[in-house]
Amino acid sequence: MRAIKSVLLTCDPAVKEILIAMNERDNFIIEDLDDWHLVIKADEEFRVRRELEVELEKNTYSMEA
Amino acid sequence: MSEKRNAEAGPSEHPSKRARIDEQEDIDIDYNEEDAIPPSPPETSLVPRSATINFSALTRKLAQERRTKEIEPTSLSSLEQHRRLQDSLVSHIFMDQDFSWLHLKPDHASRPLWISPEDGHIILEAFSPIAEQAQDFLTAISEPVSRPAFIHEYKLTSYSLYAAVSVGLQTEDIIEVLNRLSKVPVPDSIIAFIRERTLSYGKVKLVLKHNKYFVESSHPETLQLLLKDRVIREARLMTVQADNSIKAATFTTSKAPVKGNLVIPGTAKEAEKKKDDGKPATTANSDADLFTSVVGVEGDEIDEDDENVHAFEINDAKIDDVKKRCNELEYPMLEEYDFRNDTVNANLEIDLKPATVIRPYQETSLSKMFGNGRARSGIIVLPCGAGKTLVGITAACTIKKSCLVLCTSSVSVMQWKQQFMQWSNVTDKQIAVFTADQKERFAGDSGIVVSTYSMVANTSNRSHESKKMMEFLTSREWGFILLDEVHVVPAAMFRRVVTTIKAHSKLGLTATLVREDDKIADLNYMIGPKLYEANWMDLAAKGHIANVQCAEVWCPMTPEFYRQYLRIQNRKRMLLYCMNPNKFQACQFLIKYHEDRGDKVIVFSDNVYALEAYAKRLGKLYIHGGTGQVERMRILSWFQHSPQVNTIFLSKVGDTSIDLPEATCLIQISSHFGSRRQEAQRLGRILRAKRRNDEGFNAFFYSLVSKDTQEMFYSTKRQQFLIDQGYAFKVITHLDGLDKMEDLVYRTRDEQIELVQSVLLASESEADLGSDVRAGEGDLAGTVTSKDFGRVPRMPGTQRTTGSLTALSGGAHMSYVEQNKSANKKLAQQLPPRHKLFTKREKDKAAAKKAAR
Repeated sequence: MRAIKSVLLTCDPAVKEILIAMNERDNFIIEDLDDWHLVIKADEEFRVRRELEVELEKNTYSMEA
Repeated sequence: MSEKRNAEAGPSEHPSKRARIDEQEDIDIDYNEEDAIPPSPPETSLVPRSATINFSALTRKLAQERRTKEIEPTSLSSLEQHRRLQDSLVSHIFMDQDFSWLHLKPDHASRPLWISPEDGHIILEAFSPIAEQAQDFLTAISEPVSRPAFIHEYKLTSYSLYAAVSVGLQTEDIIEVLNRLSKVPVPDSIIAFIRERTLSYGKVKLVLKHNKYFVESSHPETLQLLLKDRVIREARLMTVQADNSIKAATFTTSKAPVKGNLVIPGTAKEAEKKKDDGKPATTANSDADLFTSVVGVEGDEIDEDDENVHAFEINDAKIDDVKKRCNELEYPMLEEYDFRNDTVNANLEIDLKPATVIRPYQETSLSKMFGNGRARSGIIVLPCGAGKTLVGITAACTIKKSCLVLCTSSVSVMQWKQQFMQWSNVTDKQIAVFTADQKERFAGDSGIVVSTYSMVANTSNRSHESKKMMEFLTSREWGFILLDEVHVVPAAMFRRVVTTIKAHSKLGLTATLVREDDKIADLNYMIGPKLYEANWMDLAAKGHIANVQCAEVWCPMTPEFYRQYLRIQNRKRMLLYCMNPNKFQACQFLIKYHEDRGDKVIVFSDNVYALEAYAKRLGKLYIHGGTGQVERMRILSWFQHSPQVNTIFLSKVGDTSIDLPEATCLIQISSHFGSRRQEAQRLGRILRAKRRNDEGFNAFFYSLVSKDTQEMFYSTKRQQFLIDQGYAFKVITHLDGLDKMEDLVYRTRDEQIELVQSVLLASESEADLGSDVRAGEGDLAGTVTSKDFGRVPRMPGTQRTTGSLTALSGGAHMSYVEQNKSANKKLAQQLPPRHKLFTKREKDKAAAKKAAR
């Protein structure tokens, strides 16, 4: 078993579901701990955060839109 | 900042400036005195006026130059140095919106508004002591954009200025008052804009007099200008052949009309008039300050008194061409109807019933319409439940000519007729209805016809009867045409109505002058300008409509639901966020909470599947399109009268047609995407709450929203209209005490998973919104006012099976028991028995009747 550098993410259950859905495209989740916690690959962290941001932004209404 | 400011703050000016400030402070205390604001100080700026002219780019450049041309710091006090430093530090943040070069008037603190030199937006400090007067003025000359509690935003547009001129305001007055109210001198670009617009708009009027069309203007040169146009010249009817040269002399000149003794029925003035008939209505308030005299009706008289109007006659047949041409020439014609001097069309003897009293804002809106004794065409905007119908009826009673009322559905046709009967002394013979089912005509020369847009605009085949009815409608001249809910009518349909029916004046009524497709501007030239728009908050403060607390409740999606939500890409997503167990719980909690407070609760759901699921699970009554008429009436009467039934679930059918003044709390679990109009309409359901005048009464409006879903997006969009009207939505992320509630539904994960499975099993069509409502014949799309919505036809698919006789008769099956019974079924089939006293009395009455026979 090889050691992988990882990050512990704390999030709410809904965000966790989004992450799991994203994980289906390309694998970055190492361990699904519980409703609130995930362990993901450390070098994917930045990309994951950015994509998550885009995903969440879709549900926000702004006057300019 | 710029050297302008320094120049003004120079030592030589100090004494006079201080004096002014002192004076201002005195005035602040009793601002009701005459001339609350001193006239703006003379232009003392050292920079020539031309430097701040027009093009903002240029001005900004100039300002920048000024900024760079620094004066030696030694000549400034340390405070000023500090200020300058601050300004230069801050101003870059605003980039294009940096207006720090506009110099403030020395007494700017007591002036409430600021005008953007670029786009004509006006920002008003609503907390200023003179804000109320400023608002009156601003609503007259500009369009309200947003009116929350403290800072209001208005916008000067061509149409708003057009409307301002149409109610009798003069260019110079507008500029003068703006200048008095403004913190900065009114930018030249704005002045130029106002002048340009008011010069052309409203200067020409189209008047029907003795059944002849006249183009009328108080400015002969404008008429000459118009006559230089070929189309208009050809349409002109010459009375005197000899004089062909276009001179002012050829115009018929007459005295301008004065409001005189025209009194809108039902107003306080009417009573006043009875006391002393001779005096004109100008018992002008002693504290008549500048604004009201400019804004109000009285100002109108002064403006137009002693002024001659000039007119030339035009050919009836070419009226459309002329109108169109005038629009192209940027001289749109105002249409006014001099109904008191109309001797050709028979009068309709109707009046408001003596007991009918109209409210102050209704009076204001009507006085805008009848400002100079004639009827102007235009649109009046009042919130739902504020008595639009009565405004329409009062207008009809003022004009007293034949009147055509157009509404959106056959149900509102009946409502209008009933309202006419209720408020005015119109007789049954004078009012007729023209719908798909009923085609009546009024008796006598004049009367009222109520119909729908689609009946009148229909061009396809008609029945013989309706064809005859249409001929009747088009053959005669109408004094007044009343257009209900103008915002929903498609433009093409509207044009057909307006061109086929000859009417002297038009009045449009609406609550929400918003359209998702932004076609509102079309109405401006088809009907007329917006004459009046009420301020919702104002009406609520005065108790005409209920105070409403709005809240958006965020319900997190449970993991199971959200997982499915992310995977499903079709319409079923909607079903998932409607059926979210957390929303279920929040709904249950809020219902319980408000029932315990003694509120009557309505729960709205556009989605019928969710509606039934919620209602059945929570054991409440519900009404949707499939609910039969008898059952529906029974449920409504229980809700209205029984203390045991405090909550009902309504689908889209409840948006408009069902009037429940008992309701004081409204919960929305699913809605029609981002429709701002629906949101306003739903709020309207509780605005006329019966208890609204109780001390400290609040109605409640909750929107339940599933977090992290599209619903969040739509919800924010939906609220925009109400926010612009000044409503504030609180966001509730956690309902206190929800966890401790007994018999909370879907508490365990197993139950939630079961729910998600049942949702997934539901067919995709279940996710459709408002699928239960079928538009009646002649109803406009998007208006759900049908009362006898009937069952949505769902053809049972035929199938062939083989089986034993036992199985076919049900003998082989286990018996099926429905666990979630509809609460509707549990209702007693009849209303609770009446009190013995009444039954006895009725029995006696019946007996007496029998005996009398």
